[in-house]
Amino acid sequence: MTETAIQGIITGVLMGMIYALIALGISIIFGVMNVVNFAHGDFVMFSMYLSYVLGTALVWDAVQTPLLTFPILLIFGLIVYYLIIDRTLRQLYVVQLAATVGLQIMMRAAALVIWRGQPRALQYSFIQGNFEIFGFQVLTSRFVAAVISLIFIAAVAYFMNKTWAGAAMRAASDDLDAATLMGVNYHRTYALTFALGSALTAIAGGLLMSFQQTDPVGGIRFGFLSWCVLALAGLGSIPGLIAAGAIVGVAESLQVTFFNPQGRLLAVYAIFILVLWLKPRGLFGRK
Amino acid sequence: MQVKGLHSGYGKVPILHDVSFHIDERETVAVIGPNGAGKSTLLKTIAGLVKLTSGELYFDGHNITGTSPDQLVRLGIALVPEGGRPFANMSVIDNLRMGAYSKREVLKTGVLDELFEIFPRLKERAKQMARTLSGGERQMLAIARGLVSRPKMIMLDEPSLGLAPNLVDEIYEKICALRNELGLTVLLIEQNTNYALELASRCYVLENGRIVMEGSSAEMSGSEHIKKHYLGL
Ligand SMILES: Nc1ncnc2c1ncn2[C@@H]1O[C@H](COP(=O)(O)OP(=O)(O)OP(=O)(O)O)[C@@H](O)[C@H]1O
Ligand SMILES: [Mg+2]
Repeated sequence: MTETAIQGIITGVLMGMIYALIALGISIIFGVMNVVNFAHGDFVMFSMYLSYVLGTALVWDAVQTPLLTFPILLIFGLIVYYLIIDRTLRQLYVVQLAATVGLQIMMRAAALVIWRGQPRALQYSFIQGNFEIFGFQVLTSRFVAAVISLIFIAAVAYFMNKTWAGAAMRAASDDLDAATLMGVNYHRTYALTFALGSALTAIAGGLLMSFQQTDPVGGIRFGFLSWCVLALAGLGSIPGLIAAGAIVGVAESLQVTFFNPQGRLLAVYAIFILVLWLKPRGLFGRK
Repeated sequence: MQVKGLHSGYGKVPILHDVSFHIDERETVAVIGPNGAGKSTLLKTIAGLVKLTSGELYFDGHNITGTSPDQLVRLGIALVPEGGRPFANMSVIDNLRMGAYSKREVLKTGVLDELFEIFPRLKERAKQMARTLSGGERQMLAIARGLVSRPKMIMLDEPSLGLAPNLVDEIYEKICALRNELGLTVLLIEQNTNYALELASRCYVLENGRIVMEGSSAEMSGSEHIKKHYLGL
């Protein structure tokens, strides 16, 4: 019993790092631009299909595919920003809602048309097998995915804190008018923010494809999970995001281990509601 | 700096009507007026935050009408907005660096050390988040941030806003010292008319989006209108 639980916690924590990476994307988009991208989870689904296509065509391992999917999602993010998001910025909030929910539906439909609703998986990964820590089994692919997620989370934190573009993003997030006074062009800063947030889903998509399949409606789950991670973490804290990712991952994994795997998101939702009652600003956010 | 026949406002709402005035190099000019007169709007329009509907702006011999904020910073114009508005979730030092965002080369000229000498409190708090500063420190940070790009002209929007009287004295001493040391042109907006008249050599009165009076500070102090409505005498 406890052994199974610990095993579940290990799996959950590792999975949670990918969730944290996905949530980091919506976190910077929401934090900087105050835009809620409801299609974010579908960006993950789309990235996974891209990884599948490229991995199959080039005979690449899933974890290599972000080399190509990352720049593709970066450009995709830029296009979506300038074509759609930029137009919704100073409009009523419902305009934004319709725009991003619509995008979500469109991407799902596109995936259904292109891949005919069939789940797809990559055949082979050179990251195989498992290893043992203190008598517990750890899947190597999950472990590698968690480590790569953490590396990219750290890289984004570095980018935000140490570069001029990152400083412009933080400044625009705090006070758009004051940032404009400093000479920040917010259209450009927002475009970069949205593109970067979107491109993080390419990393996550590649990592996920190293051990699971993708299907056209998978985006709902990733969207929901990452919203929960962000809500638990609160805005502005990277360690908080990682911790919240772990909590969500563990909740999901324990539900799968001990109860019905069909209801894997119920445990996550229950925890989210609990935190909403106890700490509505999130567990680790500022203020 | 010269403003000719400026009209501006928000969306379809006009705020400023045919505003014209000038500031000579290294001069300090104050604009006073009641709440809602359009003083902040005037500075925001000059700084490029609010689009003007008609009129022309000249600075240093250039026509700067419609110039983007980053170009204005490069030309040497800085605005310290009402309330200072430092970036709350950025450290003091990062706030100051943001002042050089459009003119990064100035950071190599030792400008931060110079400013830390003038505002030692900011140096002590360099790593602290701006949201943890006191009101006076925040205002000082905002002024320092405006000066990082080594502007020729600085526009100050009510630097005394919300500060205790002794802090207002301190801020004005700093502003006066900075102006003299750096040879700054200053466009000052102030509700605290006494301070405005003391620092500025000339003064304009803005009411309902129009300039209704102008004159030297000495003339203004003697005017019945100013005495009655602005000095509370
Ligand atoms: N962002 C905005 N959108 C629409 N109207 C605005 C905006 N900002 C200010 N106004 C309006 O413009 C008018 C002038 O405002 P402004 O802030 O320039 O006044 P002010 O002279 O600076 O006043 P105060 O002394 O209170 O700072 C006011 O009637 C105000 O309601
Ligand atoms: Mg004002």
